[in-house]
Amino acid sequence: MMIKKLIIIFSFFILSIPAFNEIVYEFEDSLQEKRFYSLISEIRCPKCTSGSIASSDAPVSRDLKNKVYELVLAGSSNEEIKTYVSERFGNFSDYRPALEGTNYFLWFGPFIFFSIMLAMFFLKRRI
Amino acid sequence: MNQFLRFLIVLLPILILVFFARVLLVDEDIKFSNFKSKSFPEFQLNDLNGNPIQAKSLNGIKLINVWASWCITCLVEHPFLTELSDKNIQIIGLNYKDSDTKAIAWLRKHGNPYLFSIYDPRGDLAFDLGVTGAPESYLIIDNKVLAYIQGEMNQTKWDNIFLPLIKKARQGS
Repeated sequence: MMIKKLIIIFSFFILSIPAFNEIVYEFEDSLQEKRFYSLISEIRCPKCTSGSIASSDAPVSRDLKNKVYELVLAGSSNEEIKTYVSERFGNFSDYRPALEGTNYFLWFGPFIFFSIMLAMFFLKRRI
Repeated sequence: MNQFLRFLIVLLPILILVFFARVLLVDEDIKFSNFKSKSFPEFQLNDLNGNPIQAKSLNGIKLINVWASWCITCLVEHPFLTELSDKNIQIIGLNYKDSDTKAIAWLRKHGNPYLFSIYDPRGDLAFDLGVTGAPESYLIIDNKVLAYIQGEMNQTKWDNIFLPLIKKARQGS
């Protein structure tokens, strides 16, 4: 009786829709697979406020993942793939902002503030 | 020196506050106003009736509107688009991830403000354009994409982003 109940309960898990919903990507070698998963975690989902396409199931993210998969299999480099995406979806798509223009402030701002604070701290002690 | 430091201690947080206020309180509409123009991607698709689309139909000043019959916000902007087409603005629909029968039925029910609609069931052209969902709108002047908005088209977005560019293009020609 107990076993029967358990089977019924587990069949709910096994037959649930999400179990079949995940798209399985198959690769020729493990390097391709590694590159694919690191790329999709570095490309921002255009439909989300903050999240990578790896974490998103929005239709546009699914399309992007499929495209990245295609390009990885076709032998494109990481740089080429990121340019391909940002040509279409803008610089916003790169999760790691490029080192240019106002982004310098983004990258080095914390260090600048930290050094100002340090300088102030030591100068104050001397006075 | 001491006074300068005191001054700095007060000034610095104010500067940081101003900086973040400027960056974070930016209106969505303004965010899209510094869109980088690009040329319209090449494509080979049919319209909703199955006729292939000629490249030259994108010449001149055109508004491209991404829509679908499953898209609820598209219904919200529909009266405004109809108003625009009544004012002789040429609007081309980009029917996105939809079925043609449903799309045609939708247009029959709600009215058709489009010159024609490009039928893009897989979202191929949409992907090359950088469409993230529906509705979205693009301003095309002589095959160049000059402006872009996400979400519904309304009077504010039209007046602030699209109209100035159209006026400029009309003066130039």
